[in-house]
This record gives sequence, C-alpha cells and structure tokens, in this order.
Amino acid sequence: MRSSVMPLGPTVSQDRVITSFPKWYTPAACLQLREHFHGQVSAACQHRNTGTVGLKLSKVVVVGDLYVGKTSLIHRFCKNVFDRDYKATIGVDFEMERFEVAGIPFSLQIWDTAGQEKFKCIASAYYRGAQVIITAFDLTDMQTLEHTRQWLEDALRENEPGACFLFLVGTKKDLLSGAACKQAEAEAVRLANEMQAEYWSVSAKTGENVKAFFSRVAALAFEHSVLQDLERRSSARPQVGDGDIIRMEGHPPETQDSKRPSSPGCC
Amino acid sequence: MEEPPLREEEEEEGDEAGPEGALGKSPFQLTAEDVYDISYVMGRELMALGSDPRVTQLQFKIVRVLEMLETLVNEGSLTVEELRMERDNLRKEVEGLRREGSAAGREVNLGPDKMVVDLTDPNRPRFTLQELRDVLQERNKLKSQLLVVQEELQCYKSGLIPAREGPGGRREKGALVTRASNASSNKEEKTIIRKLFSFRSGKQT
Repeated sequence: MRSSVMPLGPTVSQDRVITSFPKWYTPAACLQLREHFHGQVSAACQHRNTGTVGLKLSKVVVVGDLYVGKTSLIHRFCKNVFDRDYKATIGVDFEMERFEVAGIPFSLQIWDTAGQEKFKCIASAYYRGAQVIITAFDLTDMQTLEHTRQWLEDALRENEPGACFLFLVGTKKDLLSGAACKQAEAEAVRLANEMQAEYWSVSAKTGENVKAFFSRVAALAFEHSVLQDLERRSSARPQVGDGDIIRMEGHPPETQDSKRPSSPGCC
Repeated sequence: MEEPPLREEEEEEGDEAGPEGALGKSPFQLTAEDVYDISYVMGRELMALGSDPRVTQLQFKIVRVLEMLETLVNEGSLTVEELRMERDNLRKEVEGLRREGSAAGREVNLGPDKMVVDLTDPNRPRFTLQELRDVLQERNKLKSQLLVVQEELQCYKSGLIPAREGPGGRREKGALVTRASNASSNKEEKTIIRKLFSFRSGKQT
C-alpha cells in the first residue's frame, strides 16, 4: 500500500522534512522575503495536485575556485561528515538528497564540480539544465570571491537566461572572527546583489548554516518547480482557469495519486 | 686533458734521431725543444766555419731567425693546446646532452605548445580527456544505480515493499529477487535514472 504512495522508496529522514518556508540568511541579499509558500503552491500541495508527484527533482550545480570547500559543504549536508584532508575533486561528482517539502517528496540532485582549471572543460559539460547555481568562495580569501563572477558567467552560459536560482556562498565561516566575517560578508553581499544571487555564510567544519542553506535551496527550487508545472498545465488546457487548477484531479497523471490517502502525514 | 700532449711528446722522443732529427720534422710538428736542437746543430756548424766576420754577421741573423721561429712555435703550441681544451670541453658537453636522453634532444625541435613526457615517470599523464569523461560518466551511472538499489533495499528492510498484489499474494523465497528485478523496471525508478542524466539531453523541468 505504502509503496504506491511513496514511489521514491523509504521515508525521508525527519530533518529533510520542510513544512514552513525556510528563511533567508540576510535580507540584504536574498531571492525572496516571503516566509511561507506561494499560495498556489501550498494549495496544490494540499490537494496533492503538484503534477508528477514523487518525481520532482531539481538540479543543483556547485561551482567555485579549488579548495574553497564545495565538496566539504556538500558532504556535510548529505553525509554529515567533515574531512580535514583536502582531496581535489576529479571532474564532477554528485549526490542525491531527498526531501519532503510541504508534504510532497522532492529531490535535489547536487552536482559537485572540480575547481581545478584543468577539469573545467569536463565539469562545464554538467552545468546545463541547472535549476540552482551555487557559487562558492572562501571567506578567508577574498580573491576567490572575485573569481565567482567568472564561475557564475561560465555556469550561466550553459543555461537559459533567468532559468536558475543563484546563490553566493561564503565558506569556512569558522575560521573568521565575528568582525572579520562581517567585513567579508559586506563585500560578498554587494557582489550577490550585483549577480542577483542570495547570499549565505556557512561552515562545513562546524555545520553552521549548512542545513538551513540547503533547506532554503530545496524550498525555492521546489516552489519554482511546482509553479512551472501548474503554469504548463494551465497553458496546455486553456479552458481551465487558474483558480481551477487545484481541482484538476482525476486526469491521467493523477490517477495514481487519487488513490493515496488524503492524510499528509503518510510519509 | 694533459694526456694526449704527453703521449705526443713521447712519440716525438721516440722518433728523434739526435738533435739533427729536428730538421727532418714537419714544420707543424715542431716544438720549442726542436728549435733549440736546430740552434745547437747550426751553432756547432757555424763554429766550425771559423771566425770569419761574415760568418759572425750571418750568425746574428740566424740567431734572430731562430728566435722568431721559437716564438712562432711556442705561440702555435699554445694555440693548439687551447683548441684541444676547447674541443675536449665541447665533446663533454655533447656527450652530456646526449646522455640527457634523446627525448630532450627532440624537445628543441618541438613547437611552443608541445610538451615532453618522461616515459619512465610513473605519474606521467597518460589518459586522454575523452577517457576521463567516459570513466566519470560510467561512475555517475553506477552511482545513480547504487542509490536506487540502496533505496530499494531500505524499502525491503523497512517493509515498505511487501509482497503486494502478487499472484496469490504469497511470499516465496524467490519473491525478493523477482521483486528486485521487477522494481528496476518500475516506472518511477526508471524515471529517476532518466532524470539523473537528462542534463545530457538538455534542460530538464
């Protein structure tokens, strides 16, 4: 019974369940200030009318200079580990992280790319089709911040303009004093606004802000993905007005979902 | 470097048939020693001619000519010695360059964007970019399959996937295996894999 409800397999661990919209890091550089899901989205989720339920997946690409800690950040989040030893990423790697956002299963496919110049030609082939671009830099090395412009430009070149959420992430927060961090952040926030990216400071070593950051990424990507689906379906069936969308149960893609229990706590 | 001239001197001494022998030598082989021998021979013969003032005058000229000859011979042998040293140095240099390997010799002829690989270096670059791409793609594919299998396994462990709607609904020993292979053809999971790699075929939504 349950297997038909949860096509993606086992239950999502409790800390991957997102019920309320995760907050920004700083209002000075954030993608949106809303603190709850888009009305249409929460309505669709409530009615299990989010389109291809259970198959929602967004692609995240993490770029930035070598040794800023892209892999460490991802490993802290996905495996909750921190390895002191530096090991350069060869080409690309990826992790899958499963969430439950507003009661709907959702996955992030996180692509970890190599920062070394020699791998750029390989890694850049994986930039395409990203919903989220995370540009990372080392808070203790402002040169790496300067380089994020180039990284972002390279990643955007492979994607449709305006199709990606952009994040600028300062890593190794634990290595800076409060004052030094504030100073670095001020500069980063300026650049983030220029890029139209949301800014976050994190530490993979201590884990500070790592979970909050990826939850924010997941929520924004999820919401965008649901909205896109709703939009696509409404334009595919022009006779159905926007307001009716949430009641569009029973047509082929939803036949399976209509069988599921209405309780949102099923997973 | 000192050896060859020594050997030559020995040879010269071997050839020598008294002071007169110097007069029979090739002018290019002449040494200062030979000039002194010639001086000795000529001086002895001039002495035998007696004390005629014309002989005395000729003697002065002969002495002068011999002195000039001595200077020339000394100068010549110095030059030869210098050239010999230079030749030996160049020989050594060439040998050294040759020893550095034929690869290094070829490097000189390479274009500005070329690189020489030391074939004896175990860490030398040896795989192509395409090979690395292929390996990475293979790794990613296997990793995604592993993720699917891990999730499936977790489902079985936690009883999320019971022997559902099977024929008769019975649990058999082979049921798990059958289900596992069935599950891989399961629509949803196929979609995960497809989605995982759909970046290749363009933007996914």
